[in-house]
This record gives sequence, C-alpha cells and structure tokens, in this order.
Amino acid sequence: MIDGSTAPIPEFARRRIAEGAGSRSAAAVFTSDLSVNEFLLIRKAGFEPVGLCVGTCVYHVGIQYGNWNKNQELTVLSQAMYQARELAMARMREEATAMGADGIVGVKLTIKRVEFDSNLLEFIAFGTGVVHGKGHRGFRAHDGGPFTSDLSGQDFFSLLHAGYRPIEMVMGSCVYHVAHRNLLATMRSIGQNVELENFTSAMYDAREIAIERMQHEAAAAQAEGVVGVDMHEGSHGWQSHVIEFFAIGTAVSPIGEEIAPDKIADPIMVLSVND
Amino acid sequence: MGIFDAFKRRNPDAAELQRQAELGTMLHGGPLPVHMTERLTAARSGTAPWVSTLTPSEMRVVRSHGIRPISSIAATCWMHYGWSWTLGHAEGWNTALRRLKREAIEAGANAVLDVKMRTVPLAVENSMDFTLVGTAVYIEGMKPSGNPIVATVPALEFVKLLEADVVPTGIAVGAHYAWMTDWQGTATMAWMGNIEARALSQLLESVRRTAYADLRRNAQGQGNGVLAHINFSEILERENEQGPKAYLARHIVVATTVDAGPAVPMHHEITMALDMRGPSTPLTGTTPHHQSYATNDDEGAI
Repeated sequence: MIDGSTAPIPEFARRRIAEGAGSRSAAAVFTSDLSVNEFLLIRKAGFEPVGLCVGTCVYHVGIQYGNWNKNQELTVLSQAMYQARELAMARMREEATAMGADGIVGVKLTIKRVEFDSNLLEFIAFGTGVVHGKGHRGFRAHDGGPFTSDLSGQDFFSLLHAGYRPIEMVMGSCVYHVAHRNLLATMRSIGQNVELENFTSAMYDAREIAIERMQHEAAAAQAEGVVGVDMHEGSHGWQSHVIEFFAIGTAVSPIGEEIAPDKIADPIMVLSVND
Repeated sequence: MGIFDAFKRRNPDAAELQRQAELGTMLHGGPLPVHMTERLTAARSGTAPWVSTLTPSEMRVVRSHGIRPISSIAATCWMHYGWSWTLGHAEGWNTALRRLKREAIEAGANAVLDVKMRTVPLAVENSMDFTLVGTAVYIEGMKPSGNPIVATVPALEFVKLLEADVVPTGIAVGAHYAWMTDWQGTATMAWMGNIEARALSQLLESVRRTAYADLRRNAQGQGNGVLAHINFSEILERENEQGPKAYLARHIVVATTVDAGPAVPMHHEITMALDMRGPSTPLTGTTPHHQSYATNDDEGAI
C-alpha cells in the first residue's frame, strides 16, 4: 500500500464506484468505531468486524474512611471499583457472544461521575466485536468465549505477526489511603528537604497490590504475559488522601509455538518526515 | 476468575504490617520486600506471566533483537521540600533512579526500557512524589548487569539507537535556583517604554547556565552525551513589607544520557515515508513520557 502508489484503481473498486452506494446491501450491517487504518489491518489479519459491543454498570460505591495516620488499603472501595468494571466488561462480552464474535478489539474502559449523587459512578466498556473470516475458533479466550483486548487495530495486527494472540483484558485495582503526617513530624521537617517515607512506601504498597492482582488474573487466564500495561492513578471524589492505583493490560499467549527471535521478520526502518 | 478471589489472598492485618515494615527497611537501603522479590523472580523464570508496558509492535521489535520482558517496575521517592524546591526535585528524581536500578537488578534485568516520569495527583503540603515506571528486560546472551541501563526512550527508539551503536544509559538531572533582591528597583518597570528587564534576564540566564552545567556534571559517568530533555523554568516575585521586592528564578532540566560509539552510519537503508497518521504516529514513540511538569510539556519526550 505504501509503495504501490502508481497502481491503477482495481477493477472491483471501479465497479463499486460506478454502481453507487448500497448496491452490495448485505443483510447484516456491521458497526464499529475503527479508523480506516484499523479496519484495513484487522481485515488483513483475517478478521471481520461484526458490531459494537457495550457494557454499562452504574454502581453505588460504598463508604469507607481510612485511619487518619495509617497507610492502608480501603478494601471496600477496591472491591467496588473492581466489581463494577468486571460487570461492565462481562456485559460487553455477553453482547459479543450473542453476536457470535470471536473477540473484541479496541476496548475502552471509562468511568463517569453522575451529577446528582457523588457516590454513583458509571462504568462503560466499549469495543468492536470481530470474527475470524475463515471461522477459525482457535482465537477464542481460554474459556471458549470471545477474547477481549484494549489493543488498537494496528496493535492487534502487530501482535498476531509477532506470533501472539490476545486472551483477556486483565486488571488490578487498589484503592489506598495514604496516612496523614502527624503534627510533630510536620514541624520537624519545616525548612528541610526530606523524603516523606510514609508516602513513598504507600505508593509502593498500593502499586504492588494492583500489579499483583493483574498478574494473578493473567495467570488464571493461562496467559504467558501481559502487553501494553498501563498504571492509572485516579481519585473519584474520595477524601483527599485516597487514591486508586489501577493496572490494566492485555494478557497474551503464543499462537502455537513461540517464534524464535531470528524468525521474526526484520522490520523496515522508517524515518518519518512528518515532524 | 471470581470477582473476589483476588481479595481473599490477603490477610488484612498481620500481612499488611509485615509488608509495610519491609518497605520501610528497603527505603533505608535494606533488601527488597519478600513479596516483591518473589513476584519478580516468578516473572523472570516464567512461572508467572511477564508484564510489559510495551505495545505489541514494540514487543515485536524488541523480541526480534533478542530482548525479553520481565515485569513493569516502578520506583518512588516522595520528597518534602523545605529549604529548596528546586534541589528537592533533583534529589527526588535521583533517589527514584537509584531505586529503579536496584529493583531491576533484583529482577535479573540488564536494562529498563520505556522509563516514564510520573507524579500522582495528590497535593500534600509542599511535597511531590517522584516516580519512575518502566519495563525491566533482559537481553539474551548477556549476563544480568550490576548497573542496568535505564532508557527513557520507548522501545522502538531504544532499538533504533542500538542499531546505530548508541546505548541510552540513564537519566541526568540538572537543577539550579537563585534569589535576587531588587535593591535598586530595576525590575519594577511601570510607565517605562520598550526596554529590556536586564536584571531579570541576567538572573534567569545565570540560573539556566548553571543548571545546564549541573546537567553536564550529572551526566558524566553515565555516558558521553545527553539527548532530548525536559526543561522547566519559572520566575516568581515576592513582595516584602519593608524591603525591596525579591525574585526567585529556578530551572530544572531532565535528560536522557547516551553512550555513543564513534560515528558509524547505520547499516540499514533509510526509507523516507510520509506517515498518514499525522501526530499520533507510532513511528516516533508512544505515550507522553512524563506528566510531572505540566506547564512545560511542549519539549517532547525525554
């Protein structure tokens, strides 16, 4: 596509243009939020989009206060954040199953606050269901249902080419209360550059718990590894010292056998002239 | 997996206290907590899934170069700045960098890729958290290193650099600040026409130059050069009840250090390509590499 700029417009495309829109009017219309490049690459990888899948969960998050001077996980909130996302994701996956999709690509997971109640959070999971063009079912997740993945179409294509397939979007959540400093410690540090060790270890503790949980989920999905991991830190209208660490990524497994490094095609070095 | 399975494994009280005690020991130079070491070792040996912040295309490139991911790792130093905000920042990043390397060694890695600077959005009394996150990897056929490479560039750029015999080695910080008391009132320029504020120019210029000299000093021993960096600078005015106004200028620069071999042209042929994706091109890196200095974000990835 990149170097074929001098090729003429193919015959079938000319015919389509001449016939006008809607002439192929398939019985089923697919919906998707794919970009042009994503669409082309997903088809190149042997998949076809079937439809948008969405799962919603409006969740009332319980109340839990941290001890003023204690570093601790707020398990009520951790569980709420995890369960609500899990519900939204499961509903999205159900819709995909109903469509007969083999997987969902480009999943976006968002959280919205509701104006009239500060304890209500809306969780939305949203992605494009795809099927394998030749009806190959080997791409399904470990439990036989559709795989889920937050990978874009481009990433999905590269992943398959690296000899891996996505299994499941895995996540780990930890809502943590960071201890307040006592007055004496605050007084002592006036005018000094010092590390606040309590805060540092709170960050370590919370992050480690989130990652551990995510990794645990990946192991449960029989994955070899997790790609594209990102750690989000967010505060969803809680007290000032409460923060959520949320780890998310796509668990992957090799397709058949792992490709040896020297068998992976060398990428072409491209120097972008855009910027 | 059941929704609550992940929560069952933690015995709330005793285990929690134990973890925190071990974390405290680590911050004073002691060993890493047992649960962290166990997790890293499991990811390294393949008994637990590896964890990587790299995208699939990055994974593909690093794998074809014999690099394997172990786990995403992170290091934090939460600093309270009392006497100097500026130097507090430098110390915060440097401490986090030391800790990141220790964790990488513990994971059996010889490099950390895709290192990003992060700060959590909790504003606490004159303090900030300095966090570095990245993916610990090992390069097949090389021994785990006692001084792992810390590459702030995304994996694609890391490989690009390696191919050109350039090794990104670490992070160097330069920081300086100075106060100027404006005895003559030269910086108060109401009613004047077009005129340079010389005193302020000089203040900022000398602060910047000293910060860059500091960067150079800091980079020595890590490599023989630095690449793209983040600049953060600001000037603040303080009014005094009975004295003249005072001005504080500060400058922080954070850069990637590289160890470059003698200039040999890359053995690849270079294809010029126009990438139709525009600004979101996957060719020049992935996510923003820091969100710690929001106002000075236009300098590019570090």
